[in-house]
Amino acid sequence: MILVGELSLWVALLMAAWAATVSFAGGTLARRDLVASGERAIYATLAVVVLASVGLWTALFSHDFSIKYVASFTSANLPKAYLFTAFWAGQAGSLLFWCLILAIYSALAIYTNKTRNRALMPYVSGTLALVLIFFLATMCFGANPYERLDWIPPDGRGMNPQLQNPGMAIHPPNLYLGYVGTTIPFAFAIAALITRRLDTEWLAAVRRWALVAWFFNTTGILLGMWWAYVELGWGGYWAWDPVENASLLPWLVNTAFLHSIMVQEKRGMLRKWNVTLVVSTFLLSIFGTFITRSGIISSVHSFAQSPVGNWFAGFLIIGIVASAYLVTTRLKDMEAEAELESMVSREAAFLYNNLILVGIAFSVLWGTVFPIITEAVRGEKITVGPPFFNAVNIPLGLLLLLLTGIGPLIAWRRASVSNLQRQFAAPILAGITAPFILLILGMRDVAAIIAYSFAAFVAMTLTQEFYKGVGARRRMYSEGVLTAFNRLVARNRRRYGGYIVHMGIVVIFAAFAGLAFRTEHDLTFKAGEAHELTDPWGQRWRFVSQGVSTYNVLNREVTAIALDVSRDGKPAGVMTSEKRQHVDSRGAPTFEPSTEVGIRSSFREDVYIVLAGVQGDESAELRVTFNPLVRWVWLGGILMVIGGLIVMWPQARRRGVQGGYAARMEPRPSSEPERELVGA
Amino acid sequence: MPSRREFLVALTSGIGVTSVSAAAVRAQVTQTFAGPMQQDAYQPVKLAAKPSGAASMSVAERDELEHQIKCQCGCVLDVYTCRTTDFSCSVSPRMHSDVLSLVSGGYSSTEILRAFQDVYGERVLMSPVKAGFNWLGYLTPSVVIAVGAIVLYTLIRRWGTRAALKHAAVTVPSDATPAEQAAIEAALRNDS
Repeated sequence: MILVGELSLWVALLMAAWAATVSFAGGTLARRDLVASGERAIYATLAVVVLASVGLWTALFSHDFSIKYVASFTSANLPKAYLFTAFWAGQAGSLLFWCLILAIYSALAIYTNKTRNRALMPYVSGTLALVLIFFLATMCFGANPYERLDWIPPDGRGMNPQLQNPGMAIHPPNLYLGYVGTTIPFAFAIAALITRRLDTEWLAAVRRWALVAWFFNTTGILLGMWWAYVELGWGGYWAWDPVENASLLPWLVNTAFLHSIMVQEKRGMLRKWNVTLVVSTFLLSIFGTFITRSGIISSVHSFAQSPVGNWFAGFLIIGIVASAYLVTTRLKDMEAEAELESMVSREAAFLYNNLILVGIAFSVLWGTVFPIITEAVRGEKITVGPPFFNAVNIPLGLLLLLLTGIGPLIAWRRASVSNLQRQFAAPILAGITAPFILLILGMRDVAAIIAYSFAAFVAMTLTQEFYKGVGARRRMYSEGVLTAFNRLVARNRRRYGGYIVHMGIVVIFAAFAGLAFRTEHDLTFKAGEAHELTDPWGQRWRFVSQGVSTYNVLNREVTAIALDVSRDGKPAGVMTSEKRQHVDSRGAPTFEPSTEVGIRSSFREDVYIVLAGVQGDESAELRVTFNPLVRWVWLGGILMVIGGLIVMWPQARRRGVQGGYAARMEPRPSSEPERELVGA
Repeated sequence: MPSRREFLVALTSGIGVTSVSAAAVRAQVTQTFAGPMQQDAYQPVKLAAKPSGAASMSVAERDELEHQIKCQCGCVLDVYTCRTTDFSCSVSPRMHSDVLSLVSGGYSSTEILRAFQDVYGERVLMSPVKAGFNWLGYLTPSVVIAVGAIVLYTLIRRWGTRAALKHAAVTVPSDATPAEQAAIEAALRNDS
């Protein structure tokens, strides 16, 4: 099976090459037989990539240490679950995993378009095949997961202990599903540009794929934050690390696209902009992968430095040049059908939202590559860390939060004064009241007060939307509140699912603002010793050391401290924190010791304990951090995921005009009275 | 076929991107990826104590200062976070020890940061100092967004004017006689 898998990689490369050649030829020569052959070749590529993947999994589970990848990332005593996840733990395996997802997505895209978008499909297949060729060639010639060692080691090196975490088992696949998902909209965009069929049809074909990519990218980022928080032990969930930034870039641009697509669907505007966003999202995914794999920028998440980075740089350059050529030569085919009429309109609000989202993406990209630019210009290395990114992005983030509340309430085309008064009275009141209450309660952090004020404003706009919608249904159909709510969302998944995503954003921003009140304490405990601390809420915590213990478990040696915890004099249980030294099957240390954080979570705050070290006299050094509102980050993330699922879920086909953004608007003759269209 | 202008636009954008990427690849060759922990990266930062001899800051202020200094072990964390997280790092405890002696020697935050910068270079700071070339880093995002906002404002104004003209065109009856047209224009003038 392993040999079959190894050979399959090469066969897949040939298949993808055939698919690309005949697909483009079929499209250019209008030969249906060639187009069909290209599509079948994509299916065949999927089959052989699956074989290659099964081969690697077989090698991992059978501990075939003659294969360099298996020996590098697994050991005989590695738990079976992590033998499965070892598939994407290293450079070469994760490239194969990427390829597997891309092949599945490609086959799905072709299958679901058997009878639709036929003029575009030859070029869609061709583009997808080209991307497959790149990944397969990178593996075959640059980082082959089947590369053999000259000798067979008795045991493997084992997996990095920080990857031995359930979050790490699902975080990378989600992120890859998101990254790779951007390839399908990109392929449709390229096909639309080549064929000059740049109307709204191609957008309809890619909207759901863009949503799929967004959904998995969101889930992947959130899981990554959770993993960093519980596993790495630095006390936070976002460190503006280059690799974290790399995952944020396509997310930001894709989010901008998912907003601006509505303007094109509704008004036939922003065609050039939308194509640019789709192409940029894909290229930023590749850029993110380039950063992760080239070692060009220091990051805790990076794979080892390898020549694969050069492959990605080359592919990125070709992708940018080809896309820039296609877009610039098709500008005349992308003229808008309608004109934007007012600065105070829904479409203008989407443009402001796009400006901020793309602006944040640019500032993150700029901060990420600035050390390289500085080194090239000044010859001196610098670090661009959290202080830089926070200074630049917090104001932009707050502005974006505000727009999250404004956009959905403004009428399309032109909002009247009465529309603005009616829609914004209650939200503005909430936004003004919130800071006063917080000031009375003693909050003095300006940025946090602004964040909570904006959050209150947006939360009220969203609540108002649901309240009005549910109220309307109750009046029209005499439904109960819950039924009305369910049907309101079910009948217009796109709009109300989007609102739920926005509510998740509000919750996450409110939780982020809680970080302003985080406190850290650096303590030393001897057995039986106690320390008392006050948290940001004014509660008194008492920690009593129960002593340090050491023991062996499966593939690790553990040093642990147990603390008896009480809050305001009431028992709050026992918290433990560990240092783990992972060992191979012969008991030899494999990696640097890793941290197992002790976390006591509540809706108010997390008590976060890290065992930093143990001195010779068995006194333990600990960092105790009070992290306010962290649980709300995860809850906000869950809301975003639920909202995303609702938006993605197919709308049941109904007779007559459907809700959502299906309607198209023509210019209004001036003889007609001005109408307002809020929502849709 | 694309026009010569379209071809030149595409070519220019391609060359620009290629140059930037090539610079990135060149930098990659010289760039040292931190990779495994570099336990020998420590360099002493020592200064004679000031005559006053009093500690210059509280523990909380010292911890805050350590958040601004990057540990040199390759972990990309600041000194405070690294030393309180990872006991296998021998660099951050020694950097912490230097901070302690400088604080007890009466040096201010600015002086301590400067002392570290003199020994390790600017890379020891968690964010670049706001001076010289680094202003490009700090200001570019704001400038780009401001330019974007101006372009957006101009575009929306232009689109709004065009849309108004289109609507105006719709309101004029196509079969109006020159006399009727003149009467309408005269009426409009009187209105204004």
